[in-house]
Amino acid sequence: MALIDMVVEKIVKIPLVSKDKPDVLRELVQILKDAGEIDDFNIVLKAVQEREDKQSTGLEKSIAVPHAKTTAVSSLKLAIGIAPQGIDFDSLDGELSKLFFLLVASPEQSGPHVEALAEIAKLASSTSFCKALIRSENAREVVELMKGE
Amino acid sequence: MNNPIRKIMVYIDGTDQSVTAAQYAVCLASFSSAELIALYVINTRAVEDLLKARIFLKDEQLEYEHDMEADAERYLNYVNELAMKKGVSIVKKRGRGSVNKEIVNAVNEDQVDLLVIGELSRIRSRRDEFYDEAERAMRAVTCSVLIVKDEDRVWEMYESLA
Repeated sequence: MALIDMVVEKIVKIPLVSKDKPDVLRELVQILKDAGEIDDFNIVLKAVQEREDKQSTGLEKSIAVPHAKTTAVSSLKLAIGIAPQGIDFDSLDGELSKLFFLLVASPEQSGPHVEALAEIAKLASSTSFCKALIRSENAREVVELMKGE
Repeated sequence: MNNPIRKIMVYIDGTDQSVTAAQYAVCLASFSSAELIALYVINTRAVEDLLKARIFLKDEQLEYEHDMEADAERYLNYVNELAMKKGVSIVKKRGRGSVNKEIVNAVNEDQVDLLVIGELSRIRSRRDEFYDEAERAMRAVTCSVLIVKDEDRVWEMYESLA
């Protein structure tokens, strides 16, 4: 399934209410749980936390791309969270992170996982687009922006 | 008139859609007696981009490349089994690099008559960042392209093949 096919309102949350990194990871995984995309919250959270422990996925321009592989999912899962106020995510440029893309994939589907992450990386390179996403007021606006509507 | 389809290539990427495409390609090869090639491309270009974007760490890059090599082996073997069950021989082929370019190169190198790919996304984003590698290849290859749809119907067709 292409990344764009996964962008639906139920996997988008605005605003994120967390104040710090551990909480925002939980909140992002909870989006997947609430959307019925995952069964085992704790296994998915552990996989994402273990990746973050190696090095933060907080990039420049207020974007973070937490990601992990786990056998707890059989296909690629995406959650999008927006925190207009910003959250300290140990980002590379030291700035607060506002736009979060969580990707969780099965270890047996590395190809689609890599391609989805690459698409997010391309999106992240567009400053104006990311700013527009961060200014979104609700999930519907995010979906419309992503689909270019 | 000679058989216009002497060589079929099916592109496999590990998705259910590409497996359905492989089943359809096996049926086509069986009916047309065409040679069948299964191609899997390890997307090292995307992995390199992710390293540059600092989304991947160096050891993560190596880990994912290793995983994708294993995926290639597993999915090509699976498609080989699908073909063998129906008495169709298949040539397994793998590439490394940019997916759409590798597909185009493989089609040219093997002088493929028909490229078979899985169903594309039904949503067409107007944003350039969202693109499907198979869709790009479909537009760029010199041969005809067949997009396989309807998983259930294809499964029935494959199962009914003697």
